[in-house]
Amino acid sequence: MLKPVIVLAGSLLATGAAAQTEIVGTVDSKCIIISETSGIYGNPSPNLLTTDPTNGGVKPIIRYDVISADFYKARIAYPNTFSTAPTLDDVVNWDGSVTVSEVSDSTMSDYDTNKITYNNVTEYDLTVAGSTWFTIASEADYGYTKSLPAGSYNAVVEAECIPL
Amino acid sequence: MYPSLKIVLCFFLLVSSSGHVFAHELTPTYVKLRQSYVENVLTTSVNLWNARVDVLYYKAGVYDKDMKPVPFFALPGDVVKLEYTERQKIDVFISTVEAKKAVYICTRSQILKGLKQKTVVSSKICSKIIK
Repeated sequence: MLKPVIVLAGSLLATGAAAQTEIVGTVDSKCIIISETSGIYGNPSPNLLTTDPTNGGVKPIIRYDVISADFYKARIAYPNTFSTAPTLDDVVNWDGSVTVSEVSDSTMSDYDTNKITYNNVTEYDLTVAGSTWFTIASEADYGYTKSLPAGSYNAVVEAECIPL
Repeated sequence: MYPSLKIVLCFFLLVSSSGHVFAHELTPTYVKLRQSYVENVLTTSVNLWNARVDVLYYKAGVYDKDMKPVPFFALPGDVVKLEYTERQKIDVFISTVEAKKAVYICTRSQILKGLKQKTVVSSKICSKIIK
């Protein structure tokens, strides 16, 4: 009585063993921009918005992953304008910086030495394959110690990956 | 602690931490223009991947060596709606005249108006056109 059941189970197992599912993947040179931490502006004084953690801010962190060395350059711009804000009738003085905060390969340690900075933009040649974490600092100082109008303020950090 | 349990815990830690990571990818790095089915129009394709949960739209653009815009046409459109973890092939068409100065094909993440986040990261990744 058990014989047909064993035969059926055996045939099912045999069919299961024959089934194949293919997974295809390719590894080629590419750049991936990863927004790891979103920034937050702290408001330590009425005229100031800053991402400085000692003043209640959070610095945004961006990670660049490159598969092959010497294929890309990273171009990161800290904000020099608000994307949304209440109506402002005085000048906003912007300041900021971009620094390498973490690396996956010790040979990336000279990235900050070799970076090129102009206006609000910082450029890095990604000469080593792997991951690099960039921390961006941003500060907006309104007028001459003038109070910022109440409301919501947003600013945009631009992260670009350009092939060499 | 058992070594296998350690591996499992590490895996779950990795998975849970990567849940907060938002990525944007454009491949291939280098593209070559080829003749399209329309006379005097060249074409190529790039692949866009959206792993940014905070981004729903990407804008494609073609630029010269100084990052100045070059006229082009894209399918399914120059602004692409892409859900989280979706991929999209973008076909780019450039006239033979404009193709002479075209150097980069880029995609930039678009930020929705009224987003509550205080500082937002706008990502732009480019592919380079090989002559």
